[in-house]
Amino acid sequence: MKCFKHWLMLIIIAFPILCAPVSAFAADKSSSSSSATDASQVAENASLQRIKQKGTLVVGTSADYPPYEFTTKENGKTKYVGFEVSLMRQFAKDIGVKLVIKNMDFDSLLVALETGKIDCIAGAMNITNERKKSVDFSNVYYTGDSYFLINKSDKDKLVNAKSFNGKTVGAQNGTLQSTMISKDMPQANGKGLAKLSSLVIGLQSHKYDGVLVDAATAKAYASNNSNLYAFDSKLPATAGGIALAFPKGDTSLVNAANQTIKKVNDENLINKKWLPESAQYMKSYKKQNTVLSYWRYFAKGLEYTLIITIVSVFFGFILGTLFALMRLSKNKLLHSIAVCYIEFLRGTPMMVQIMFVYFGIGAIIQSLPALLAGIIAVSLNSGAYVAEIIRSGIQSIPLGQTEAARSLGMDKNKAFRYVIMPQALKNIWPALGNELITLLKDSSLVSVIGVTELMFQTQLVQSATYKGVLPLFITMMIYFILTFTLSRILLYFEGRMKHVQ
Amino acid sequence: MSNNKMIEVQNLQKKFKNNTVLKDITEHVDKGQVICVIGPSGAGKSTFLRCLNCLEQPTSGKVFFEGNDLTKITDKQLNQLREKMGMVFQGFNLFPNMNVIENIKLAPMKVKNIPEKEAEETGMKLLEKVGLAEKAKQYPDQLSGGQKQRVAIARALAMNPEVMLFDEPTSALDPEMVDEVLTVMHDLADSGMTMVVVTHEMGFAHEVADQIWFMADGYIQETGKPDEFFAHPTSDRAKEFLKKILK
Repeated sequence: MKCFKHWLMLIIIAFPILCAPVSAFAADKSSSSSSATDASQVAENASLQRIKQKGTLVVGTSADYPPYEFTTKENGKTKYVGFEVSLMRQFAKDIGVKLVIKNMDFDSLLVALETGKIDCIAGAMNITNERKKSVDFSNVYYTGDSYFLINKSDKDKLVNAKSFNGKTVGAQNGTLQSTMISKDMPQANGKGLAKLSSLVIGLQSHKYDGVLVDAATAKAYASNNSNLYAFDSKLPATAGGIALAFPKGDTSLVNAANQTIKKVNDENLINKKWLPESAQYMKSYKKQNTVLSYWRYFAKGLEYTLIITIVSVFFGFILGTLFALMRLSKNKLLHSIAVCYIEFLRGTPMMVQIMFVYFGIGAIIQSLPALLAGIIAVSLNSGAYVAEIIRSGIQSIPLGQTEAARSLGMDKNKAFRYVIMPQALKNIWPALGNELITLLKDSSLVSVIGVTELMFQTQLVQSATYKGVLPLFITMMIYFILTFTLSRILLYFEGRMKHVQ
Repeated sequence: MSNNKMIEVQNLQKKFKNNTVLKDITEHVDKGQVICVIGPSGAGKSTFLRCLNCLEQPTSGKVFFEGNDLTKITDKQLNQLREKMGMVFQGFNLFPNMNVIENIKLAPMKVKNIPEKEAEETGMKLLEKVGLAEKAKQYPDQLSGGQKQRVAIARALAMNPEVMLFDEPTSALDPEMVDEVLTVMHDLADSGMTMVVVTHEMGFAHEVADQIWFMADGYIQETGKPDEFFAHPTSDRAKEFLKKILK
């Protein structure tokens, strides 16, 4: 019997692990089948046709990269601007559909494209041979050198790539520049982060001696911040320029994009019109660009943080109760399922779970919105912890209580509901409160998949204002006010439960 | 006579892993009878009592209550029959998060769907019966052991049971509180309630019981009227037991 139980547990634990490659395989299959039909003109047209039928072109970008793409606010609302955004607007207009922009970390873009979350990437993405293996590129519309962004005070010390020997150089994860550092600057100490805005904060606080970024971006930062200075890295360009990235095999859409790009290149729209426009945006909001003027961003972030927390607490509690009961069940199967669920969810990082739900399950259910994915992941995770808290609560109630209830004719459900649970709840109240506060704080992890909760909005404000610490401080205070209020409320109810006795 | 049987056990056996606590018990309780089960500790008295309402599931054998075999029926039917079998525990098992009257009215309201007002009225009457009406709004922690056990008796009576099972109801009490509980039980027996009482109170057993069941080593060794049993026990185990406790 024991042996059987162990096997059962193993199978249940192995199940999601076995499932993952299967779904990955399924995704592989669909992409290879679409490339197999490359030759067929009908199928190719279908991909462009699909966008047209849908009526929207969903573009993924990492909007912290002025002047390529960044955010500004218009009437208090986030507006995506930059010359790549202008290019995408033109492209959407040319094929007659609406443009939808999805803002996420640069290193999530390729995954999002592969899993069909987005139709194409406009993210200052350089063509490289590695990337060519997984995506199709459009024609090049911009070629940017890589520049070093440094503190102005180091201007005399740091003059070329060699002067960074033994120093720390940062680059955005997954970018060409991060590859360049490891390849062309072996003596330097390369460090990567997901957000360029965080890198610049790091630079300003001397965590980094320099940041290697695209020329246009480096110049934009330098001109907006008098303490920063940008200069040409003169590193050999290993990339073929910046282009749009599409899923492999999707050539009809690529061809349509190339038509737009050809027109843009012919008219030199980027240099003549869109770059100056971007510069204007950067200047115009520099004047009234205080952190506090972005209060609406924080408000929106707060709203989403509260939504995620409240909904996840609700479902986490239901799941937790369910799994606690399953774990205490005499039914071996239910018990094993609950043990596996709890162990697996507690034994893997929440960040990974969030990304797995969004990208993994999202690969099967294409329309899964990030907010929903985030709520699912946080609820599932919280359910595991709540299950253990509730289990300990139930087990803390003496058996005599159940026996007394049963001897009075109550069935198992009534005994649990009217006798055991009220007492258990009182015992576990502090632990539940702890979990609630943890959940509120951990909801910030959902920012990795682009949900506009407080942390994500903070990053937007950081990159929009070029200020790193103040937005963080404000966010920290908001979280603290939330958790402090919450813990007072919980304490009040704890006191009331005690008073009853 | 057989129509009068309220509880009947046939070849009852109960094992806990390798330990056979009840070996082979066949007995019955008639309506209106008061049975006192006595015997040395470890004899299986409590286990036997708990088998009567299936708080312990018998390993083999049959337990009949009003003609229904409790080991054969569905959980739902068992719950319905348990309503008619009140039980009082050694450790009281009052619900600590509820006050006295809430303890009493919970089961009538939730199991029998009796309206709260009616349940409260019945509860107050029962509290008066056990002499604790003024404690209705107090919590179990504020009561003495004797008071707690009287509340527990009232709580069991609130379901209007046909038989009351007492599992060493005075064993956890300070000596000066034993009497108040026994008095309540005495009154209850006088009112004609069928009772099965596991007890160490020989005086009570002698005075109140219609029959003494003497248990030892997993068997009921002998049964008899109290006068006969205490005066002339027939089994060696009973003689030995009485000699020890009556010293």
